[in-house]
Amino acid sequence: MAANRNLVVQVIRRWRVQAYLDFMWMTRDFKFFLINVVSDFILSLSGVVAVFLLAERFAGIGAWGQDQILFMLGYAALVQGLLEMFFGYNVLAISRRIGRGQLDHTLVQPQPVWMALLTEGFMPFSGCWGAIVGLGISAWSLGRLDMALEPGWWLCYGVHLLSSCVVVLAFSYLWSALAFWSPVGAEEISSRAIGFAWQLKSFPLDGLHPFLVHGLLSVLPVGFVAWYPCRVLLGIDQGAGSLWTTPIFACALSFVALIAIKKGMDHYGHTGSQRYLRWGHRS
Amino acid sequence: MISLLHKYGKTIAIVATQSLNDAIWGLIGDFALRLFHVAILLSLWRTVMAGQGVVAGMSLEAVLTYTMVAAIFADQLSGRTRIDDDLWSGNIANRFLRPMGIYGQMLAEMVGGWIPGLLFFALPLLLIAPLLGVDPLPATWTAGLWFLLSLALGVAVGTALDLFFAACMVFLEHSVYALQRIRTTLTVLLSGRLVPLALLPWGLGDYLEWLPFASLASAPLRLYTGTGDPQDLIPLQVTWAVVLWVSAHALWCHNRERLVSHGG
Repeated sequence: MAANRNLVVQVIRRWRVQAYLDFMWMTRDFKFFLINVVSDFILSLSGVVAVFLLAERFAGIGAWGQDQILFMLGYAALVQGLLEMFFGYNVLAISRRIGRGQLDHTLVQPQPVWMALLTEGFMPFSGCWGAIVGLGISAWSLGRLDMALEPGWWLCYGVHLLSSCVVVLAFSYLWSALAFWSPVGAEEISSRAIGFAWQLKSFPLDGLHPFLVHGLLSVLPVGFVAWYPCRVLLGIDQGAGSLWTTPIFACALSFVALIAIKKGMDHYGHTGSQRYLRWGHRS
Repeated sequence: MISLLHKYGKTIAIVATQSLNDAIWGLIGDFALRLFHVAILLSLWRTVMAGQGVVAGMSLEAVLTYTMVAAIFADQLSGRTRIDDDLWSGNIANRFLRPMGIYGQMLAEMVGGWIPGLLFFALPLLLIAPLLGVDPLPATWTAGLWFLLSLALGVAVGTALDLFFAACMVFLEHSVYALQRIRTTLTVLLSGRLVPLALLPWGLGDYLEWLPFASLASAPLRLYTGTGDPQDLIPLQVTWAVVLWVSAHALWCHNRERLVSHGG
């Protein structure tokens, strides 16, 4: 118990250090600060605005009402915002670090790799603007939805939000494992995987062919970023077991990603990085 | 002249084959993403326009063709060069050392970058479009010809906008990444590439169609689907192409001395 508490304290301490560094970085130049805030707001809004405009124009999309679409868009923006806030500096796009040989910088530190990855990318000042947009849209939609928001629902919301974040993180790490074997060719693969999730996150997938829907809920799990969990949270999908599908899938995908990364690390232990060799990539 | 054309031809060939050598995973990922994107958009349109008939002058069939053609010519309709990447990576310094003009290099590299996409994504998508329930042909053959002219003008407007943003990046010094993202975002939203401007709520499309972004994608796509009048759209595109190239060139020349390259 004491050891676990100690771990939590260590994580919080590291987050505090990162928060300080991020604050200093963000406030070094007012022009830089302003442009970053404005661009993050525009980017977060633009990721969801097309579907919002369509829902406004056609008074909803299929089985989804306007306010339900708004809720899904807020949820999607919040998932992206939270991941950008907690896993910046290429921790989410880990194949870049692996491909560039920057994983060595983490491995030489006197702390476990998981703790470094959990804390190094924390950007509460420069990376929070997407999460703020997501929170704003979510609050707006919840105010318009005619739903009883009981403590049980909030618990379910929190678990699903966390699960969606874990799905994206695990999806990125699963593909990133390729960079251990192909550092140059797969250096950008996690940014492609994340881009895939972000670009498709705000679309309702109801009208798609069932084959594609199954694909987007398994091999390329974009459906779990917002669409499926929001169907459950809004009561559109009340099928047996649907409440547990997203958390269980998040656990399963994390397990597979963990195995892939472990295998990759074993391989990396034998080959190392080419980065610092005379003929190496980015030497 | 032949020597110059040879240089540009070589540049196009180098860029076209480069992505196949170095970033094959990225290329495959991009094509997969674009395929899923278009499949989702098609299903979305079928859902929202089912039983609606003609909305704002566009039938479901026209919207599906609009979406499909937007996906097929996505690279051309976005009109992106690599100048912002060059500013970001510091590679812009090498550009000044080459025996070719900056604009020429920029355009040749852009055209070279289109080739893998045209061969391995656009052409197959065009061929399978009927299997996805979409008629990929233009409304009429005349509409097809107007589309080609409009597409060329759209590329001219897009590259001018790119140069304009690049000049702003030089002016603002550190904010290349942020401006790059703003430019991409604004273009996708305001150009009508994702959602036809006529189908936006609150009559937004009536205002947006006058902006230069609409000349990038909305104008050629409307001509292709027979939902736009070339006598209105082409002169507007020509005007924006001239105005933007003149102002972008002036801004670039004004800011060129401020350019600092730090490397990647």
